[in-house]
Amino acid sequence: MSALRAPDPQTKTSKRTEALEARPVNLDGFVDEWPEVGLVAMDSPNDPTPSIRVQDGRVVEMDGRTREQFDFLDQFIADTAIDATTAERSMAIDAVEIAHMLVDPRTPRVDVLRVVRGLTPAKILAVMKTMNVVEMMMAMQKMRARRTPSNQAHCTSARDNPLQVAADAAEGALRGFDEVETTLGIVRYAPLVALGLQVGAQVGRGGVLTQCALEEATELRLGLRGLTTYAETISIYGTERVFKDGDDTPWSKAFLASAYASRGIKMRFTSGTGSEVQMGSAEGKSMLYLEIRCILMAKGAGVQGLQNGSISCIGVPGAVPAGIRAVLAENLVASMVDLECASGNDQTFSHSDMRRTARLLMQFLPGTDLICSGYSACPNYDNMFAGSNVDCEDYDDWNTIQRDLQVDGGLRHVDEREILAVRDKAARAMQAVFEQLGLPAITDAEVEAVTYAHGSNDLPPRDVLEDLKGAQMMMDEGITGLDVVRALEAGGFRDVAESLLALLRQRIGGDLLHTAAIVGHDGEAVSAVNAPNDYAGPGSGYRPEGARWEEMKRLRHTVSPSNPEA
Amino acid sequence: MSPGSNGTITAADYPLSGRRPELLRTPSGKTLDDITLEAVLDKTVTDDDLRITPETLELQAQIAEQTERPQMAENLRRAGELTRVPDERLLEIYNSLRPGASSKEELLKIAEELEGQFQAPVNAALVREAADVYERRDCLAADD
Repeated sequence: MSALRAPDPQTKTSKRTEALEARPVNLDGFVDEWPEVGLVAMDSPNDPTPSIRVQDGRVVEMDGRTREQFDFLDQFIADTAIDATTAERSMAIDAVEIAHMLVDPRTPRVDVLRVVRGLTPAKILAVMKTMNVVEMMMAMQKMRARRTPSNQAHCTSARDNPLQVAADAAEGALRGFDEVETTLGIVRYAPLVALGLQVGAQVGRGGVLTQCALEEATELRLGLRGLTTYAETISIYGTERVFKDGDDTPWSKAFLASAYASRGIKMRFTSGTGSEVQMGSAEGKSMLYLEIRCILMAKGAGVQGLQNGSISCIGVPGAVPAGIRAVLAENLVASMVDLECASGNDQTFSHSDMRRTARLLMQFLPGTDLICSGYSACPNYDNMFAGSNVDCEDYDDWNTIQRDLQVDGGLRHVDEREILAVRDKAARAMQAVFEQLGLPAITDAEVEAVTYAHGSNDLPPRDVLEDLKGAQMMMDEGITGLDVVRALEAGGFRDVAESLLALLRQRIGGDLLHTAAIVGHDGEAVSAVNAPNDYAGPGSGYRPEGARWEEMKRLRHTVSPSNPEA
Repeated sequence: MSPGSNGTITAADYPLSGRRPELLRTPSGKTLDDITLEAVLDKTVTDDDLRITPETLELQAQIAEQTERPQMAENLRRAGELTRVPDERLLEIYNSLRPGASSKEELLKIAEELEGQFQAPVNAALVREAADVYERRDCLAADD
């Protein structure tokens, strides 16, 4: 009889298992599918079967429900998002055939749009279920609204330090972000931090759009004041219960969309898979089905775009099988109903560098209107959106991936000298504006510190109570964007004042209200109207070349005949 | 009527600020060229000048229609009507449309106000539709 006992993992594990257990990916949370509560990515037994019935130009039945049975989302979608004149024809096309149209580069984008506008949520889900992620990326490459992809950054501070936000916004704008977004730890800090974002962004590059994520009415108020230049945190949800718990309805949100447009301010809605599960009322439906309802609601409201890709709920789809495939699918659906898509890649979802890169490539490779929404331009400990999938310590990795694959992710390597120059200038501009507006002084020591800082730990703390009094004063006295323009000029920053005025002047013409609009380097709007995506297969569409490709080739360290020692 | 209202505006005119600036005016009748830094400094340009007009929103709505975005066109036309509603009232109406915030009568009164006071029939229709849906789907303010 042998002395050896049969292996028993209870008493002894292998060295290999110990190595695997120590890998960061095993710190991530994973759950088995549980359709009853909606913990299923894109295939719940409770998802409805596609159906449509149109009577007298009106949708009277959709996905197995009649008008009398419609909840408020069904009704809004049926009446505003679905083209009743073409719906029966579109719905008659097989889901696989529609998926082929999406993937095949020889089918023009506009032809796909004409079919999709007649589809119900369940039918769109059926189309997505036939596609793997490579097919979805092929489709995204064609269906993205704007010809060129772009990128958005988060600029936040764990201490709500407006100076830090200004310096990071300036650096971010210089590195290539076309939009920058902030939010707060202490909400009352909002006016000062929004001001920092606005001034810093214009120092980095005139025309970069800024926004401050707050409760809807407060966010609108800052926009009306001209302290922000676009809005994004207009949340919508895929079930009636969760929509109401979010204190809104499709009608209140549609009204809000028009309110922003009435002031010439760009805005997009926000939604994402997993939010209904997280808020405890998914009605047993798959996450993607519910998200498709959100996307169609946004379409029906006439808003130009949508931020989606799970966003702040990424832990939920990230935990279930095919969840990251569903996240790509939701981005694709936003693009195939012709909305601008700001495609997530924001909140931290994994401890594994491999996993966060794999998740990122789904949007990075095909390109979306805004690949991240956003990329943390501050260290993760300063990110007040609960971290981001990519942050400022990933800049060199991002630039290298762009260069390796010749794929444009919207960023570029910038020399240290230029970065220090814009950080310093943003800080001095803030110092001047604070002085002009009678806000608590910014010292030279603070300017010096923030120029060379990585994050808020490197900065002298500000007097929070005095800052909050200053923030209150800004609101009480009704300080507006034009007051900031005047303060910049009076403080000796005439060029920044001109840039900010040019951006505020955009409101008069309303060009930024169109799909996927950003402000180009010449100061004019670039959107799906004047720069529509013209991808039609190999050799067509946007490919980085010329000056942009030369710029993408630059990295921190490269060896060349002229620089053999680098 | 602006030149654009008789169908002369196309997507090729976009961006209007760059290509058709002569069509654009501020609510007080200034042109884009009038919005200079000097004018901001001497306060001949004020915050009220940095606003879009219903006429400009109509031009943008026509571009949205031409680029096959009918819902966006409708949104921009609602927006054109809302240019006449002051900021504070705009925020109040938005808050009144939140679930459980208003009775049906209150919503219908807002619709009347939009129609009568602000010549905003499209928004009035949106609010009336909301009143109906809210009644059917239990989104009106509780009676007590």
